[in-house]
Order: sequence, then structure tokens, then C-alpha cells
Amino acid sequence: MKKIWLLAASALALAACSEEASGEGETFPTEPIEIVAPASPGGGWDLTARSLQKVLEDNELVEEDITVTNKPGGGGEVGWQYLSEQDAHTLAVNSSLLITNNLLGTSELTYEDFTPLATLATEWQSVAVPADSEIDDVEELMQKIKDDPSAVKIGVGPALGNDDHLSFVQAAREFGVDPKKLNFLVYEGGGDVLTALLGGHVDAVTTSLSEVKDQHLAGDVKIIAISSPERLPDIEDVPTYVEQGIPVEFPHWRGVMGPPDMTEEEIAYWDEKIGALVETEQWAKLLENNDWDSFYKDSAETAEFFAEQTELYEGLVEDSGLGQ
Amino acid sequence: MKIIKMGMPVFLVVLSIVFLLGTYNLPKAKLGNPDAPLYFPMGVSVLLLVFSVIYLFQELRRAHEDNEQIREMLSGRTPLLIGATIALGIGYALIFETVGFLFSTILFLGALLFIVNGRRKWITNIIVTITFSFVSWYAFSELLGVSLP
Amino acid sequence: MDAFLEGLLTSLQPINIFWIIVGGFLGTIVGMLPGLGPATAVAVLIPVTFGMDATSALILMAAIYYGAMYGGSRSSILLNTPGDGSAIAATFDGYPMAQRGLAGQAMALSAVASFIGGIIATIGFIALAAPLSSFALKFGPAEYFLLMLLTLSAIISLSVGRMVKGLIAMSLGLLLSTIGIDTQTGVYRFTFGIPHLSEGLDFLIVIIGIYAVGEVLFNYLNIDEEKKEKKKVGKIWFTKDQWKRSKWPILRSGPLGFIIGVLPGAGGSIASMLSYTTEKQISRKPDEFGKGAPEGLAAPESANNAASVGALIPLLTMGIPGSGTTAVMLGALIMLGIRPGPLLFENDPGMVWTLINSMFIGNIALIIINILLVGLLVKILDTPAKVLYPIIVMLAFIGTYTLGYSTIDFFFLLIFGYFGLLLKILDFPIAPLILAIIVGGDMEQNFRMSLAASNGGFGIFFGSTIAVVLVVLTVLSLFYPLIIKSFKKLRGAGPAAD
Repeated sequence: MKKIWLLAASALALAACSEEASGEGETFPTEPIEIVAPASPGGGWDLTARSLQKVLEDNELVEEDITVTNKPGGGGEVGWQYLSEQDAHTLAVNSSLLITNNLLGTSELTYEDFTPLATLATEWQSVAVPADSEIDDVEELMQKIKDDPSAVKIGVGPALGNDDHLSFVQAAREFGVDPKKLNFLVYEGGGDVLTALLGGHVDAVTTSLSEVKDQHLAGDVKIIAISSPERLPDIEDVPTYVEQGIPVEFPHWRGVMGPPDMTEEEIAYWDEKIGALVETEQWAKLLENNDWDSFYKDSAETAEFFAEQTELYEGLVEDSGLGQ
Repeated sequence: MKIIKMGMPVFLVVLSIVFLLGTYNLPKAKLGNPDAPLYFPMGVSVLLLVFSVIYLFQELRRAHEDNEQIREMLSGRTPLLIGATIALGIGYALIFETVGFLFSTILFLGALLFIVNGRRKWITNIIVTITFSFVSWYAFSELLGVSLP
Repeated sequence: MDAFLEGLLTSLQPINIFWIIVGGFLGTIVGMLPGLGPATAVAVLIPVTFGMDATSALILMAAIYYGAMYGGSRSSILLNTPGDGSAIAATFDGYPMAQRGLAGQAMALSAVASFIGGIIATIGFIALAAPLSSFALKFGPAEYFLLMLLTLSAIISLSVGRMVKGLIAMSLGLLLSTIGIDTQTGVYRFTFGIPHLSEGLDFLIVIIGIYAVGEVLFNYLNIDEEKKEKKKVGKIWFTKDQWKRSKWPILRSGPLGFIIGVLPGAGGSIASMLSYTTEKQISRKPDEFGKGAPEGLAAPESANNAASVGALIPLLTMGIPGSGTTAVMLGALIMLGIRPGPLLFENDPGMVWTLINSMFIGNIALIIINILLVGLLVKILDTPAKVLYPIIVMLAFIGTYTLGYSTIDFFFLLIFGYFGLLLKILDFPIAPLILAIIVGGDMEQNFRMSLAASNGGFGIFFGSTIAVVLVVLTVLSLFYPLIIKSFKKLRGAGPAAD
């Protein structure tokens, strides 16, 4: 099998340095590092992988070459399947799909088939209504749904079972609405949910904050709740779910993991490197560009976090009516 | 010839029945109307069935008419070329990931050229095979960043 | 006005001109290859744009995007193998022109049509970006459903003389489009236990299978005869008469394509097909369509290029990506710290105006590139068919692999290749099948969303002016040929397009 390296322009300069250094000893890593983005270029996973690559290289945290490979397909399945057959020099980006794919029956893989290395960043979920909507807070919305679930059209996309969908399911459940009765209109395309909201074709949407933040600032839509623990800068007028009496804190996280059976030395290496990465200014800048919040957890914390998340998602998938 | 002329409508009728039966066995939706995912495929397979039956009768009436292109498809070395292209394609699919892009492409393109272009032009065949395999490998994997096996 | 001039100066900076040319050239090449489209090309450049100034990055990506629109039809004209959905309409008359020895003229005409379409759309962008984006918002599920219905019925109306076969092709396409997870309910349909099918059948595989592989198999029928007659390439520039016939179709199709392009999700396939059928229906010589009518090539070419410019409007004014390519562009821009959306024009007007000006310059660069390439590309036709066909088949396989990184798709490619051969031999129209696969999924989902929104009432399909207009157009498109037919007396079998 031929390994093919994607040559990022920035990598060229570093290639020379790393060659000098690679003779030093037997310590991990001894080969170039490959970061798998289990999606096409341009999406969230791809951006995460390329941000990792860029920050690790620009700050000279890792001496070996780093390449990003795109292995799209099956909601991460193709790339993760590939990772499970590699050695410790390959990493892959992940998100909650790692957990939900299995619960939704689209994958045999679970997080236990890999070595969690870190949770990196998160976006927050939001609920938004049209600017001229008479609904002003999430409690009003939920009450309306409770009175007549079919009367409130909720836009979501691109597929049921994602965080946009399940975060709203959790909120509805906490409010005492049967999530199976929610009237979701599922929009397949990337921005279709937002179009539907701006055009008044739905009564509310549940989506990641970044999708609607600028529209909110421009006064085109009204965000009525965010899933973060506290209010966020830039949009301090938007209350959290918790403030409004609905105990929901819902991160839409991204992280990075390695193949199964990594040694303690290898895990420690990445804990150190990624720990340093999240402290860099460049990383902070990238987070800001993407509207992500830092959500760093080291390998041990991430393993624990995955266990908690699996339990949460099991319940949500079941309650949403998508359970197998 | 009749097999192909009649085969298509029969195939379409069978296909629409398979899909129609398939719609009855689709899982029920657990959200909203449990039958919602069925209606569209069911309606479309009924449409396909109706049109295919009309087509079948049209063809039955014209069963004896000659179709020059079918005759061409079955004569000379055309069947061999079609069969070989498909067979090589299947072989290519089977070895592509195990032996890697370059080697399998050289085999596939080379074999196809030898069959289509003839053995006598072996020099052209080999040159084209080697250049195109390497150029496409380089273009796709290096320039376009597609990860090939 | 100041902002406009400032943008013009920025886009005329040597570095930006350089990027326009690089992007346009790269896009043209990528657009010609089966399966590879602008989305892939833009995606590949993301790592490169990392180190670039944001304005240059946006210019480069936009140049690739419309470069691919120019390039997409080259292979349609020369080989009858379109690279993606929006290049299909170029095969209807472009390939017959090439077969009659007019390949050079066809390519020059298509480049000029694309150029004019692009310029019309860019002017439209400047004048109408804001009102059009609010017009696009009026399209709810019901309107989208009706737009797709209109396109399908327009395409079906082309099958006059072999209506049953056209309807079969359409129903088959619609049926194939239901494969995969049902978006509204998460139910699996017709995946036959193959996990790879859960995301549905990629319509590009069907296009590559039927057009590229199927076309090669079909050409095997005459492979040993073809050698003797040397194919003529003809003049490089089109004739006065061809221009006279194409002028108005180009000018009509530009605005049509532009408006359809603005609607998120509609895109180049619908724009080019609708402009083709419109031109055929209002033409005084509809019988020549499908047999190499220059206006039948020029109209869809103008429309799809205009649509690609239109698709940038929702992206830049609302942050809504209207197509796969613009979605990738959105991702790349976010990386660079720009979030396209309602605030972009306020916060960064310089960049927007630079982009708009780069479209003018880009279209000029592209028409030059493409006309220079005509001479080179017609050489493809000089390649002996027996060498060319294996190469096309190989490119079809690689193109397919880049779509899903799975060799399972190779089997689908072969199935559709062989099926495409049979369809061609048995004289089935192919466009309804392909179009049905492209729009079928969205059509069903939009239909069901409309009913969910209206609680089951069908009144929603007549609920807005746009909806009523679309219904009327659909009915017209179906019966117009009949009306015309009863006007003029029956004149033998109708013309065909596939």
C-alpha cells in the first residue's frame, strides 16, 4: 500500500527541519503523523484536523511531518474504520457521532474501539425564531408545543439524530413534552434550515449557534436560548436554557483520538503536545474564527466524558423515537 | 435479439414489482405518521409498473421488427469488447484496494488497451498505459490531494 | 461607487490577477474530468488558501468555481460524457454538433455563451443582490417542490414521440432516488443490507456510469468502422448564422439561470435544463433541437454559468451555501476568519466589491483561456478511438473513487454503464432518468414537508403567487408541445434529446 501525503504549502518548510531531528532516538513518534478527517474537505471535521495540523506545525510542537487525509463516508465510519487498523502515528478527529452512529444503528464502532486522546473545542446549540415571532423565550415556545405539538414546526438538519436534533429533544423532555410528538421538518442542505427560518417557513429552528449568530446580531432572527452553562460574549442578551428553568447544558464537541491499544508513553506524548497546543495564541485565534469555545479535556478526562455522553445519548436517542 | 428487446420491459416489470413489494416491508417510522416513508416509493413503483406494462405490450406488438443496433451489439467483436470491459472492471474493483492504485491501474488499463486496440499495437498500448497511470496517479494524489490506496 | 472602484483596483493587483488565471485554468481542467467538480477543486485548495490573504483566497475559489462551469461542458461536447449535472444539457446539442464536425465551433460558442451568461449574472449581482435574496426566502418547501416538478415535466415534454420510455426513465430515476435513509423519519429504504447505500446512490455515479462507461460501451458497436472516416474538426470560430440564432437564447437564459442560481439548492442542473426546454419550446425550429442546433447548446451554457454566479448571492448576503461548492467555500472562508452573512457587506464591503470585480475579470480571463484551449482540445478527437475509450473508462473509475473512496461504487458504475448501453440501444431518453435521480430526493422531502407544514392540506401548493405561477408553467410545459402540434400539422416523429 502506498501512503500518499498531502502536501500543504506550509509543510514544505518544516520538512527540512524534521529530517535533521528524526535520527535522534527511538522515542515516539518515529514516523510522520497522519490526521484523518473522516469527511470531505471544508466541513467541521476537516477544519478541526487542519487547525490541529497548522498549530502543531507552526509552533513546532511536533517535529515530524503532519499530514491531513480526508476519508469521507458513512458519517465518519469510513475514516474511523481506517483509523482502527493503523498504528499510533495516525489520529482521527471525532465528535458525538462517534457515539450516536452506534446508537442509531449505522455503525458497529463505539468509542471503546479507540484510544481517546483529547476533547478540544465545542460549539453551543441554540434555538432561534423569526425576528417578528411573538415567541420571546424558550419557555413560551415549549408551552406552545405542549399545548399542540403539531402546530409548531421546528426546522432541523441535515439529519435526525445529530446534536441539533437531540439537544432540542433533551430540552423538550426536560420540559415534559413527549419528544416523539415534536413536528420536525428535516432540511437536508447545509443552509436550508436558516433559509427556512428567514423565510418564515418554520416557527423555530434548533441549530449550532454559529449558524444564526450573525443573523441575530443583524436583527434578522431572534435566538431565544443557548445550551452553554453561561451567557456568551457578543450575544449577552441571549439567555441560557438553565436560566430559563430548563436544565440542559449541551456541548457540540470535537476531539481527537488514536487507534486502539496505544501505549502509555504514546498517550502521554499526546497529552503533553495537545496540552501545549490549546495554550497557544494561534489556537485561541482559530477558535475565535470558528466561533468555537475551548473545551479541553486530556485523555483520561475524555475517556470519562465519553462514558457519560454515551449514557446521555442512549436516553436521548431512545426518547426521540430513533432507537433501534 | 428478442431476448434483449423483450428483456428490458420484463426486467422493468420485475424491478417495479420488487420495489413495490419492498415498500410493504419497509420499517415503519417511529416519528409522525408511521407510513410517511412509504407513500412516495410506493406511488413511483406503481407508476413504473404501469408504464413498463404498457411498454411490454408495445414491444410485444413490435417483436418482429428489426433493431439494427441490437444486431450490431451481438455481432463481430462487440460482445467480446463489452464483456471484457465489464469483466476487467470487476477485476479492477476487486484488486484496487489490495494491490494499490498504480499497479491495479496499469493492469486494468493495459489489459483493456490490448483487447480494444489490439495486440499488434503493443508499443502504443504500453506507452499509453504507463504514462496515463502515472500521470493520473500524480495528478489525483499529489496535485488534487485525493487519497488513493 | 467609491467602493466599486476601490474593489476594481484591488482585483487588478497583479497577485489577484494571477490567482484569477490560476483558478480559472485549474477549474477548467477539473471541470472536464468525470466526477471531479468545482467542489473537489475548491476543497483541494483549502490548505493553500491557509497562507493567503482572505480577499485573494475568495477570488481564487470563485475563479475555480466558474472555471469548472466553463470546463464542464468541454467533455460533454467532445465525448458526450458530462462531468456533472449542470453539464448534461450541453450534450443535447453540443455532441451532435461535434459529430457533424463542428466541435471547434461548438466549444467557441459555448465559451462565449458562458461568458455572456457570467457577465449578465455579475451585473445582476451588483444590481439585485439584496432584493433577490429576499425573493429566494419566499421559496418554501411547496415552491421548491413545484420548481422541481416543473423541471421534470419540462424534460419529459422533450420525449415527444417516445413518451412511455421517457416516463419509465423518470419513474426509475425517482425510485432510485429513494434509496438510503429517509431524511424526515430516519427510516432505511432499499439499502439491501449494504451500509454504503445508507446515504443513497450518488447521482454522479449514475451520470458517470451511463454517460462515460455506457457511452464507451455504446461506441464499441462501431469501433472497427470508425477508423476510415477521418473526423473533421471544423473551424475554431462559430459562423454568423450560428451567432444570430444563439444571440437571443443566450441573453434570455442568462437572467433565467441567474435567478434559479440564487435559490439555494436549485443550482446549475435545473437552470440549464429549464433554459434548454424553454428555448426549444419557443423556438421556430424545435425539430433541430437535439440534432446540433447551436442555440440548444448556447442557452444552457449561458444559464449554468449565470447560475454559478447567482449561487454566490445567498452565500455572501445570508451565509447560506446554495450548493456543494459554495458550502466548501463557506468552510474555507470561516477558517480565514470571515463569516459570510448579513454583516459582511457592512463589515467588509471592500472584499465584496473586490470579489464582484474579480468576476468580471475572471470571466474575461476564462473566455481567453477557453478559446485558446479549443485548438488543443479538438486534438482529443484526433486520438484513435481505440486508445481513447480505455482511457475514458479508467478516468471514470478514478472519478468514481474520489466520490466515496469505496470500490463498492465501481460495481454500481459498471451496472449503470451496462444499463446505459441498453437504454441507448433501445432508444430511451436518458435526461429524465438523470434529472429524476438528482431532484427526486429533494422533491419527495419538500412535498412531505409542505404537507407537514399545512397539516395535510393540498392548498399549500396554490398558497402563494410563486406557487401558482409554477403550477401554471408546469401545465404549460406539458401541454405546450401538444398545442403547437395541433397548430402545425403532425410532422412525423418528434425530435429527441438525451
